[in-house]
Amino acid sequence: MEKRDLENREVPLTALKDKETGKVTSIKAGRGIGRGKGWGFEKRLMDMGLTPGTEVTVVKSAPFHGPVEVLVRGSRLALGRGMAERIFVEIKP
Amino acid sequence: MTQKKLLIALAGNANVGKSVIFNYLTGLHQHIGNWPGKTVERAEGTLHYKGYTIDIIDLPGIYSLSTYSLEELVSRKYITVERPDIVINVVDASVLERNLFFTLQLMELETPMVIALNQIDMAKSKGIQIDVKKLEKLLGVPVLPTVAVKGVGITKLLEKAIETVEKGAVEKHPRAIYGEEVEERIEKLMPMLSNIHLLYPQRYAAIKLLEGDEEIEQEVSRIDKQIVAAAKKLADEIRSLHGHACSTVITSERYELAGCIARNAQKLVSPIKPTWSERLHNITTHRIGGYIVLASSLLLIFYAIFTFGGYTSELLNNFFYEWEPLVKGAVGAGIASELLWGGVIEGIIAGTTIVLPYIIPFYLILYFLENSGYLSRIAFLMDNVMHKMGLHGKAFIPLMLGYGCNVPACLGCRIMETHRERLLAAFVTTLVPCAARTVIILGLVGNFLGFQWALGLYVFNLVMIFALGRLAFKVVPGEPTALIMEMPDYRLPHAKTILKQTWFRVAEFIKIAFPLIIAGSLVLKLAEIAGLLEPITGVLSPVTVAWLGLPAVAGITLIFGILRKELALIMLAALLGTTNFALVLTPVQMVVFTLVAMFYIPCTATIAALVREFRWKKALFITVFEIVFAIFLGGIAFRLLTLFM
Ligand SMILES: Nc1nc2c(ncn2[C@@H]2O[C@H](COP(=O)(O)OP(=O)(O)OP(=O)(O)O)[C@@H](O)[C@H]2O)c(=O)[nH]1
Ligand SMILES: [Mg+2]
Repeated sequence: MEKRDLENREVPLTALKDKETGKVTSIKAGRGIGRGKGWGFEKRLMDMGLTPGTEVTVVKSAPFHGPVEVLVRGSRLALGRGMAERIFVEIKP
Repeated sequence: MTQKKLLIALAGNANVGKSVIFNYLTGLHQHIGNWPGKTVERAEGTLHYKGYTIDIIDLPGIYSLSTYSLEELVSRKYITVERPDIVINVVDASVLERNLFFTLQLMELETPMVIALNQIDMAKSKGIQIDVKKLEKLLGVPVLPTVAVKGVGITKLLEKAIETVEKGAVEKHPRAIYGEEVEERIEKLMPMLSNIHLLYPQRYAAIKLLEGDEEIEQEVSRIDKQIVAAAKKLADEIRSLHGHACSTVITSERYELAGCIARNAQKLVSPIKPTWSERLHNITTHRIGGYIVLASSLLLIFYAIFTFGGYTSELLNNFFYEWEPLVKGAVGAGIASELLWGGVIEGIIAGTTIVLPYIIPFYLILYFLENSGYLSRIAFLMDNVMHKMGLHGKAFIPLMLGYGCNVPACLGCRIMETHRERLLAAFVTTLVPCAARTVIILGLVGNFLGFQWALGLYVFNLVMIFALGRLAFKVVPGEPTALIMEMPDYRLPHAKTILKQTWFRVAEFIKIAFPLIIAGSLVLKLAEIAGLLEPITGVLSPVTVAWLGLPAVAGITLIFGILRKELALIMLAALLGTTNFALVLTPVQMVVFTLVAMFYIPCTATIAALVREFRWKKALFITVFEIVFAIFLGGIAFRLLTLFM
């Protein structure tokens, strides 16, 4: 599983090491979170600048599977681990 | 004479400085701090300028004009339904690209607007230079540079806004152009919308239909279902052309455009110095160091307040009691003197010496932290812990605010995304000892038993918050949403902002608490003279004396504490006739009294906030639960502590 992902070079954001940069390929919705209609975390992420093709740099992640800190379009975001796992990126060679 | 009226709305991303501008213009006190999501409800204020009566509206900060969050819907509705004469779009110059993404959407709404290019000082220190004229040309909207905290450029901004309205602003802005595939389909959709009446401009409605905006779909389908179906088909075409959902494509293209404008208008010169804010950020969010910094700064803060408060309190006390014989001598003995000294003056002394020395430094430090940007770092570090309570890191922000006052903290819980999370967060927030309870903890336990006891109570309180938070999570289960939060750069807090906010709090205390203290002391003294005190304390004594082991009068003061928590202690001083509590309370009684005061009930203002946010039933439930819990806990503590102390 892990290997195949690496071959396609499309991995979840959480697979990046600190200071590594990737290009967003897609955001996988997964089960709806929260209220029935969901609050559209995908849409929220995109509104904050994580659109496909955007470069994201992982700065660091908090210990014990804590949130991930990323830089995107000049702003610094904290993303919960569960959310970061659904953001897929292509590692820049 | 016709009164010239204007309606101006402030809109923009979160944490860009809208409320600073609002406060500057209106002289009001909207919440200001360096974390996103403070303004949760629109605020209104008035201003008179050059013969105009201007209503200014401060809108919550949002990242987009879609309808995925309540704030976004509220802001969009406000702009389209209330139709302000002009919108001032406040933009953070140091994160231009993301801010312009919002600007482009506002332009699509075709509202008259001007742009306040705020925080240019921050941009400069990050090495970003913006060519204002060029940006103005690229957007086709007036742009005015401002440094809101210093008031720089605000008057010009206001004048420009008025001028733009007077000129009868250009109704159609040069619009954002999307890729060919998208534009083609917008063109196809627009004629279908030309015959129906909508709140929104045609082009905007067409774009939003392609994006699948639920609210607009509903509105259109009430008139003509076929348009929505047609839009869905067109959106599907885009999806198959691009391999991404149509809304994703449109968002991306809008961001591309924003990025392009930003890159064209700004120049990156290398930052003046490797920023201290960057270094501070790295230390305070470090995976180990961050927690050490957090724990030690909290410890330091409480210790500093304890030391300062204790020292100042004693100074003031000595000062006041020097006057006692003088005052008593002047009014003579008898009931009048008793009332004046015991009722009024004793209350004022207690209020001044017990409360002010603690709350003033406390608020200063809290507002300093809030304006520095540290709170969002704490939220980052505590995300994990909050998940255990069915929340996420952002909930730690209202929790920290709760140490100041529970009321704004309860409203601050709106930064959580779902109703369930807001309720859970508000519940744990009411358990946080606010400044008033800190007065009791430090002023009573800290002062008479030592700092370690006060610290022990704070730690115990945190443990209880965690335990009760987990319990509440069991009662209101559900999957927690995940954290998405911007961490704004650290900045040196602006001294005037902090002083103003602190003064506002202290003034509130003086205006509300002092009259209460005086009235309360008078009533108590009169009741005492009339012999009414005993019957009341008698009724309460099974709980206060038998179960909690407190002096009988504590029951009455705890009831006063419901109005404002600090009254519990002040009234105790007034009733016992001294602020030297060691003479009248045993150490165990001090701890038990403080424990009960810490948990027993949210104060009336907090209850009111809870009712507003969550309705009667839930507010009542929280209140009753906390009373029962505090009494239960106090009784147990009394029994256990008697064994050891
Ligand atoms: N250095 C600097 N700081 C500023 C400027 N304008 C605002 N700030 C600071 O930016 C922070 C956010 O300001 P607010 O007015 O509370 O922001 P807001 O847009 O109302 O934010 P929300 O209500 O959360 O949407 C505060 O800490 C301000 O002191 C500025 O021009 N320069
Ligand atoms: Mg605000």
